[in-house]
Amino acid sequence: METGVPLGGYLAVGLMMFIVGVIGVVIRRNPIVIFMCIELMLNAVNLTLLAFAKYGPVNQGADPTQTAMAGQMMVIFVMAVAAAEVAVGLGIIMAIYRLRHNIDVDEMSVLRG
Amino acid sequence: MMPEWVDGRTIMFAMLAGLAGATAIGVVAFGNAVRSALCLVLNFFTLALLYFTLDAEMLGVTQVIVYTGAIMVLFLFVIMLLNLGSPAALEEKPDYIKKALGFIFGGALFGVVASQVVLPFVETRQAFAPERYGAPQGMGKALFTTYVWPFEMASILLVIGIVGSILLAKRKV
Amino acid sequence: MEATKNLIWLVLFLPLVGSLIQALLGGRIVKQLGPQKGKWLMGLLAVAPIAISFVIGAFITLQLTNAEPADRHTVVTLFNWIDFTSIRIPFETVIDPLSMTMVLIITGIGALIHLYATGYMAEEKEYTRFFTYLNLFVAAMLILVLGNNLAMLFVGWEGVGVCSYLLIGFWYKDIANAKAANKAFIVNRIGDLGLTLGIFLLVTLMLTSKAGHVGSDNRWLSYDVLLSLDPSLTGAAQALGNNPGVAFAIAMLFFVGACGKSAQFPLYIWLPDAMAGPTPVSALIHAATMVTSGVFLLNRMNLLFQMSPAASAIVAIVGAFTAVFAALIAFGQMDIKKVLAYSTVSQLGLMFVGCGSGYFWAGMFHVTTHAFFKALLFLGSGAVIHAMAHNQDMRNYGGLFKYIKITSICMIIGWLTISGVWPMSGWFSKGAIIDGAIAQPYSVYGEANLGQLAGYIGLVGAFLTAIYMTRMTYLTFFNKEERWRLIEPHHQAHETHEHAHHEAHDHGPDEHGFFLTEAPPEEHAHHHELDREHTPREVPISMWVPLVVLAACSLFAGIIMNRATEIPGVSEHQHVSAFQNWLYPQGLSQWTRLPEVPHEAPFGLSGHWFMVAISVAAVAGGLLGGILWYRQIHKNRLPVNEGWDTGGWNPWRRRAMNQFGYDSAMVSSAVEGGDQLATALWKKIDVGVIDRTVNGLGRFAGGIGKVFAFFQGGYVRGYALMMLAGVALLLGYIAFKMKEREAPPMEHVEISRRVASL
Repeated sequence: METGVPLGGYLAVGLMMFIVGVIGVVIRRNPIVIFMCIELMLNAVNLTLLAFAKYGPVNQGADPTQTAMAGQMMVIFVMAVAAAEVAVGLGIIMAIYRLRHNIDVDEMSVLRG
Repeated sequence: MMPEWVDGRTIMFAMLAGLAGATAIGVVAFGNAVRSALCLVLNFFTLALLYFTLDAEMLGVTQVIVYTGAIMVLFLFVIMLLNLGSPAALEEKPDYIKKALGFIFGGALFGVVASQVVLPFVETRQAFAPERYGAPQGMGKALFTTYVWPFEMASILLVIGIVGSILLAKRKV
Repeated sequence: MEATKNLIWLVLFLPLVGSLIQALLGGRIVKQLGPQKGKWLMGLLAVAPIAISFVIGAFITLQLTNAEPADRHTVVTLFNWIDFTSIRIPFETVIDPLSMTMVLIITGIGALIHLYATGYMAEEKEYTRFFTYLNLFVAAMLILVLGNNLAMLFVGWEGVGVCSYLLIGFWYKDIANAKAANKAFIVNRIGDLGLTLGIFLLVTLMLTSKAGHVGSDNRWLSYDVLLSLDPSLTGAAQALGNNPGVAFAIAMLFFVGACGKSAQFPLYIWLPDAMAGPTPVSALIHAATMVTSGVFLLNRMNLLFQMSPAASAIVAIVGAFTAVFAALIAFGQMDIKKVLAYSTVSQLGLMFVGCGSGYFWAGMFHVTTHAFFKALLFLGSGAVIHAMAHNQDMRNYGGLFKYIKITSICMIIGWLTISGVWPMSGWFSKGAIIDGAIAQPYSVYGEANLGQLAGYIGLVGAFLTAIYMTRMTYLTFFNKEERWRLIEPHHQAHETHEHAHHEAHDHGPDEHGFFLTEAPPEEHAHHHELDREHTPREVPISMWVPLVVLAACSLFAGIIMNRATEIPGVSEHQHVSAFQNWLYPQGLSQWTRLPEVPHEAPFGLSGHWFMVAISVAAVAGGLLGGILWYRQIHKNRLPVNEGWDTGGWNPWRRRAMNQFGYDSAMVSSAVEGGDQLATALWKKIDVGVIDRTVNGLGRFAGGIGKVFAFFQGGYVRGYALMMLAGVALLLGYIAFKMKEREAPPMEHVEISRRVASL
């Protein structure tokens, strides 16, 4: 029996963070907190990706180095996208606040059917 | 008698995992946005440490710099710029139906993913990745050879994000 | 022939150019030069194109007569009009005896009528508008007869319809004229529908029978291909022969078209109303052109009718019925132009008898002679009307002979010609039709020789024609009493003959400002109400010259065209006149001709003399009877039987005056029936079905929209919740499915394969 932390542990942590983020997005009304929850979810996914990068199954004949690198590259790009998203999203929140002096997402329901 | 897999690494992981979970819950649970932000900082920091336990040193460092250094500062700046004043402004009215539905479906999703994805890997301890796979040299090489096109795309995306946020944030002339 | 064939385009386009000149420059020129000079110039410009067309047409015809019979057919193509793989319709004209005969009639008589109209319409304010329409009418008619395919025929056919509408409604400010124009147009549309459907059915037949695909020439709407008997071409003969039912249907549809234009029984009702137009228009439409286009169509498509004896029999019977029916109605008419209108309908019926009996050339022969004498009669009646201050009621005439001698003599020649007195042209053409119809086993339906029956009925029609034309002549020109002298001057006794003035005016008092007030003084003097101070005057020279020319033609055309020709190898029994040999040369099996149907004289008698005997009996009986009757009873006063009060009339004549109720029944059923149908459609179909469907669709969409709008609350978190629920349910479903497949305990290496196999 090998020792060490199982892959399942990392996945459990990632899943837990992700679900907490999801629930946060649904139940919170402050857009800044909603953004934070989205960041939480992205990071949960990052953690999962890295866990798979290390423990991940390797198809026959594939280079393990390549596989591990793929997971890390994914994480890097997720970080880049998250950074851009946060910058734009916070800019939007600023603009809305300047316009309406209120940032409750439930107040912003003009786009309804 | 402790099971044989309980060793220093496992205990370390358990502590970090507990901290990450607690801070994540803190982000959602605190009514005050500043507290949520601080919890998030802690969470990201914990994550960086978890990356280290996964031998992804480069990414752990990047996590600290990008998230806890840049993104979280951005969050805090925005919170302060909005100058929400009294906590009452951010006080939320309870919304029980949405909360209940959120918990139910969140729990359901948790159950599904946990049973289908997490459980099969509970016993997986064998690492396939080579030693020092997370070292900066290898990552840099991969980033500028195999992944150069996605990398450039990401840079363009960032530029667009910067321009967009400037446009959104600047006051009308 | 080859060198001059392109001159045909000049014939075709000169009237069109003339029309354009009238339309675009006419008003300005008249304004520039003043009414008198300007009208003189525009009148010249109106007559000249038609006259030049006639000269060119005569020149081409002369060349055609000099050619061998087999060579008398040339197609001149200008450009490709419609061009597909399966069909090509060029803009092309055909030069052959039939088309050139029609061209000479149209341009020759058209030119005379134009000349006459320059005098008749001299007072008209919108002089150039009139000649715009008139020239355009001639151009459309020329396209109709000269076009070498059914598509061009259709263009001309519709053009003629439009122009007749414009001309009948020329004095459109009078509501009655506008109504008459509408009636003519609508009734013509019914015929046009028949023609259109006929062409479509023919096209369909050609396509389905593959006739359109074999052979090299894909111009299969062109006559020289369509009607060809040459098996190497894609003619319709074989397809029609293989489908007798379809051939009958196509023939009947074409016949409906011909009925509309040529005013046959079910559709004749527009023609008498068309008298609302100016008299030159009546002459042009009723004599020379529009009404002959139906007979022309039957001649052109004679292959079609020869393929279907049943259709031919129907043509003959309808024609015969029309001939007698219209002749009977003519007895009840008091308006001189109405009498002539019904006589036209009757004569057209005779032409259809000829065509329906397989004697197509006789139909055309009567078209030609009828064009002469009916134009003569119409223009003569116009002269009479002109002389009588635009009063058209024959009850106001009488004893006009001594006032308007030239007109009277010409009219008397017309009367004798239409009655069929030897040796005037009417005798020959009517004789040809009735001879042919009686002496034939051609249009036979079952046991009944309907064509022969039609011939006998036509003979009755000829007899009636002689009587009612005698009546018209006597009421107008003879009798001692000058009946307009009985009319009190208008300003003194307003009510005396009020009714007479109302219904019988060509254009009546100038209520609508159609006439120039600065008209020449002597013209102006004519334009007062007819009363006892009136003195009829002879018409100006521009009006009586055409009368004289037409009278000469009526006198001599028949005997010239009917002169016997020597054809080697043809038996003496057959009546071969020059005109027949010109249109359908004997012994020549060409594209336009099927093998000759044998015609035999009935009763084993020497057929020719039998025919002469019965024809002479009909004509002489009619004329003498009419003369004796009207001479006697009209010696002095207008008898009660013809008088102002229709109550004193013979009841049959009263009914004849109202067309035996046919016209009013048709109109009221069309109007009221149309009204009821439209109301029913509106209430049942439009409101009940269409509106309900449309509204229901709208409500359905609205309901669905409301359902989905409930989910589109505008709350971002709501959307997020829905997304979460969707993801959870979807993943749960996938997991459930995986479990269902009894997956063995999962090895982590396998997982990607598992997921991929989902």
